[in-house]
Amino acid sequence: MSLLDFSSDAFIVAFFLYCFGFLFYGVSALGRKWSKRSPEEHIRRWGRVAYIVSLLGFIAHLTFFFTRWSGGGHIPTSNMYEFMSFLAMAIMAAFIVVDAIYRKPLLGLFTLPLVVIIVAYAAVFPQEVQPLIPALQSYWLKIHVTTAATGEAFFAVGFAAGLMYLLRTVDFKKTDQRARREQRWVEFTLYVIIVIIAFIGSVFGFRGAGYEANFKQETVEIDDSGAENSTVNTVEYSLPPIFKPYNSQVVTMDSFLGIDKPLFETPHWMHGVDAARKLNTITWSIVNGSILYGLLRLALRKRIGAAIHPLMDGIDEDDIDEISYRAIAIGYPIFMLGALIFAMIWAYIAWSRFWGWDPKEVWALITWLYYTAYLHFRLSRGWHGSKSAWLAVIGFVVVMFTLIGVNLVLVGLHSYAGV
Amino acid sequence: MSAFENTKCECGHQNPTGTVLCENCGYPLDPEEESSEAPLEMRYDGIARRSQKANPNPIDRVWNFFSSVKVAVRLIVITLIAAMIGTIFTQENAFISFDPTTYYEGKYGWIGKWYYKLGFSNTYESWWFIGLLVMIGTSLVICSLDRVLPLYRALNKQQIRKHEQFLVRQKTVYTGEIEGPEDVWTDNMAKQLKRKHYKVHMEGGALLAEKNRFSRWGPYVNHIGLIIFLLAVLLRTLPGWSIDNYVTVAEGDTVKVPETKYYVKNEKFTIDYYTDAELPKELKGTARAKLYETQAILYTCAADCDDPSKEPKLTEVKRHNIIVNDPLSYNGIKAYQFGFDDTPKLKAVNPVLIDKKTGKSYGPFKLDMRNPQLNFELGPYSLELRQSYMDFALNSDGKPTTKSREPNAPAFVFLLKGPGLSDKGEPYMYFPKQNDKARFSQDVINGELAERFELKVPAMEGVEFTPVETSLNIRYDRAMPYIWVGAGISMFGLLLGSYWQHRRIWLRLDNGRVTLGAHTNKNNYGMRAEVTSALRGIGIVVEPKSLDNGRNKS
Repeated sequence: MSLLDFSSDAFIVAFFLYCFGFLFYGVSALGRKWSKRSPEEHIRRWGRVAYIVSLLGFIAHLTFFFTRWSGGGHIPTSNMYEFMSFLAMAIMAAFIVVDAIYRKPLLGLFTLPLVVIIVAYAAVFPQEVQPLIPALQSYWLKIHVTTAATGEAFFAVGFAAGLMYLLRTVDFKKTDQRARREQRWVEFTLYVIIVIIAFIGSVFGFRGAGYEANFKQETVEIDDSGAENSTVNTVEYSLPPIFKPYNSQVVTMDSFLGIDKPLFETPHWMHGVDAARKLNTITWSIVNGSILYGLLRLALRKRIGAAIHPLMDGIDEDDIDEISYRAIAIGYPIFMLGALIFAMIWAYIAWSRFWGWDPKEVWALITWLYYTAYLHFRLSRGWHGSKSAWLAVIGFVVVMFTLIGVNLVLVGLHSYAGV
Repeated sequence: MSAFENTKCECGHQNPTGTVLCENCGYPLDPEEESSEAPLEMRYDGIARRSQKANPNPIDRVWNFFSSVKVAVRLIVITLIAAMIGTIFTQENAFISFDPTTYYEGKYGWIGKWYYKLGFSNTYESWWFIGLLVMIGTSLVICSLDRVLPLYRALNKQQIRKHEQFLVRQKTVYTGEIEGPEDVWTDNMAKQLKRKHYKVHMEGGALLAEKNRFSRWGPYVNHIGLIIFLLAVLLRTLPGWSIDNYVTVAEGDTVKVPETKYYVKNEKFTIDYYTDAELPKELKGTARAKLYETQAILYTCAADCDDPSKEPKLTEVKRHNIIVNDPLSYNGIKAYQFGFDDTPKLKAVNPVLIDKKTGKSYGPFKLDMRNPQLNFELGPYSLELRQSYMDFALNSDGKPTTKSREPNAPAFVFLLKGPGLSDKGEPYMYFPKQNDKARFSQDVINGELAERFELKVPAMEGVEFTPVETSLNIRYDRAMPYIWVGAGISMFGLLLGSYWQHRRIWLRLDNGRVTLGAHTNKNNYGMRAEVTSALRGIGIVVEPKSLDNGRNKS
């Protein structure tokens, strides 16, 4: 067995250990009411089991990371798969740090699922070790990417604690306007998380089933001299086509649930890179996410937020508020160092300018400005509690857009993501 | 903050207008604070900021505007949103040549049209975006000055004995009876706190312990760094502070770098691709670059620099193999690997003239693409060059024209003279490239003459190509050191402010009762833990949470 195969196995082991860690955190939170032991004792015991399992997961993850580094010959942070799994690992590290300061077992209940989702999301992307293109051949790849991701990991823990704060404090029994609005937004946040889970589930479900559909798409472009140039490209889908590419013919298509031809055509104005495939994937995620959400609602017979809220009984909300803020305050300087200063140094060495308003650079700046505003709101304008928690939740959306959205939606120099 | 009339505290201290907490004893002067039970607003230690004047004049008003953190946060949020909008569509500067007036509308419809019209296609260079950055910079300067000097004064002359109100309205509070004599108790407490690296001051039954005051200066140091950074960014726009040029150098050539006295030579350009063995399954068969390298020499001109009739005399100053991520660097000048062009371009051909009837051939002769000779004598025949096109095409009127100066589709019109030809000579059109010859139907153009004569390169050795060209980005940026210094100072300040916290513990003993208040600018959790631990050290056991006078809810 080669080192890289061993590394892939370690990755899978880490994933399952994280899943179990999450499960045990769940037992720790859920079971305290049924347990024969006193609730504190139950939480302490199962919280400890969950923590140890998660820690083992982290060790497996580290093993993955270093064996892949050694086997691949360069630090595994050079494409979307490697970056996302590194980010998940950094979130675990940030969690361990924050948990060491505050010792709140329930923080794991929110951080672990986040880690599980990101690890699973990483696995959506191609996993081969790709040799580095000249622009990435620099020791700054090690420094810039790891520090930036570490800063972002602390923001992720801040997000987990912020969400936890909201689920703890938003009262699902109240019916006044403000409470209703907060309930709706908390529920919407949970719905979005379920859609993301559905996206990962759909990709792996159809990949596991070996689903394939191919199209020939004809693109007509008018060049400078006014002549029409048409090119024909093959577009491959791994999810059944709800939307086929604009102006395309089916080459081969597996039938799914008796559907053997695409239902709709992508509108002509969507002509980004792989726009049709992305639209199709998003549609699938929303459809499946909504089904999943509906099933959960049926099973719980109440809103998901309302179901989680009672689990948080007895948690000191000020402490969670403090944890969320503290995680962000720890992450902010690391983020600035990695995502702006080191980034500028590397950009100066590789691209001859320290700043070029490339979309990725702009979004790193936006993230930084966002958290700058967060800190000023909190320290100078006294935004604590739920306002601060909402800012932490939205902030992580900004972070994720910087990391994923920019690569998938916008174009620019950082478009190394291979999906 | 409301305007207060009476600024004299009950302890007798005269405070400046706008003081929230008495500079001396800490008693809340602000009527709202005074009547409240909540923890005190300890921001900037309750000092009067410079901007809080009774009768502001117009300059004060501008100062007041920029001194507000509320305004600063709004500026940040507006900049953030503007920056977001700028990433929706590709900015103008990302294109090398295009027409923005039609591009955005053509590609994105009416949204694109308005995006362009409103100036978002050039967001980051627009006057209003730069204006926002300048305003943030101003706000940084004024906010900092407005607070740092009064805060420095306040922290520099702290009174040890504070008003009871001040102590019980801190976020961390402990009160209780003490055992034993008061001075022994305070001494023990002082010992505990010293072990925790506090600086302890005592004064008649009162104690002040303080640590990490420097962390209070972190935000201001950070802001100073940001100001230097922003100023350096502005400096870069001054003439002479930066150079940004591109030079294209063919292998073996030496080229002058515009705007400088330097010349750069491309000794050898290498491009390497990964072999299939090095690539994973999915990428096999694709050209994935491994290395772009220009072996470059930088010269400076010693003499005859501006005389076009003479060759400039060059002295070598630096030799470097430039790769991406490793530019050549000399005296602030940097040369970066930017791109290359390895599409084969004809440099010269060596054709022969064939008399098709006799089968005899004359020549070969060297026809240079860029600087062709005008006359060629080939045995009894002669060729006179009348016209040459580097990138042959027919324009809308059907007339021959050239699309560019690059020899992509070279064409030559010769006048062929000799035995059996008209005295004036007969025009012969020659396309050195085989595919152009077919594409533009050379034989049809030459008509009857094509049946008698042909210009032809007999073998591949008769074709010479231009060597690979590298393109280098030459940069000079005098402001860079200031940029890095600014970024460094800012980062240093941020670290000071983030990873250390200014902590203070006050206590006073009144008739066998201790009142302890503790304040930190960040991390009350840690503050409580530290007070708990100090109390435990002298035998008082309390839960950290019980010290929480928090109620820090929104």
